[in-house]
Amino acid sequence: MASALSDSRVSAEHIPVKLVIAGPFGVGKTTIVGALSEIKPLNTEEVLTQAGTLVDDLTGVNEKTTTTTAIDFGRLTLPGVVLYLFGAPGQTRFQVLWDELVRGALGVLVLADTRRIDESFAVLDLVENAGIRYAVAVNHFPDSPDYPLESVRQALDLDPRTPLMVCDARDPASARASLIALVEHVRELVLS
Amino acid sequence: MTSGRQRRRVVPDYMAAARLTVPEHISVQRTTLVYIAPDAATNGLDPPGSHLLALLRDGPLSVYECAAHLGLPYCVVRLLVAGLVGGGTLLTRDPPATDLPDIEILELVLNGLRAL
Repeated sequence: MASALSDSRVSAEHIPVKLVIAGPFGVGKTTIVGALSEIKPLNTEEVLTQAGTLVDDLTGVNEKTTTTTAIDFGRLTLPGVVLYLFGAPGQTRFQVLWDELVRGALGVLVLADTRRIDESFAVLDLVENAGIRYAVAVNHFPDSPDYPLESVRQALDLDPRTPLMVCDARDPASARASLIALVEHVRELVLS
Repeated sequence: MTSGRQRRRVVPDYMAAARLTVPEHISVQRTTLVYIAPDAATNGLDPPGSHLLALLRDGPLSVYECAAHLGLPYCVVRLLVAGLVGGGTLLTRDPPATDLPDIEILELVLNGLRAL
């Protein structure tokens, strides 16, 4: 476990702001949270169950009635605000957790992988159903095919106004550019 | 990193909030910032409570970070924090409640990200 005591702290004057990074397994959520976070990213597990998480310790129980899923968590302190980044899988079976995570979030950055574009549909469904503002970043892998963004937009059936860009999840500058595109989009929506 | 749930704990997780009076309405969320009240009495707490306070001695943390560092599930730490807030030991800074983001917050985020 990372030592909390060596971490920098924010002040209580900072406004906490939540951003969610969603995408299928292996798309680069952990990587991008790591590229953006000022703290060593925390990898926690969420217990998903309808009831009883408070009273039932399910460790060692054979008939597993809960699902756990890994969440990547990072922090980025800016003047006046502190961004909390949640990297969450976008499977429909995580609906309950998903609803709670996106509540009050500034927006969602959806990460897509053009080698497995079909796996992004479930994530986009969740985002659309939640009615949350989002942008899509294609994480470019060395062996990713070079599709023009317009065909990716078509394949994902994105609204023409939804920001779509290519990013390198390992590169902090590229990761930040994706966040900036998302927040600019949210600002336009709020102002319109 | 090993998550707290991969080890079997001697004391079950739910005991962390067992002796606290938890208010009926809880506004604590993952991103709620929590810090020690300036005039709080910080002794006489159960182990989970004193671990939490030791963690917060260096300054505020989000509830989610507290959960990760304590190795306890978020849902348990949420109750632990709510109980200690109710008792006046901890104070919180809540995230904005509105669904439509505040334009001033958006500008702060944009300017901050661009300046990095």
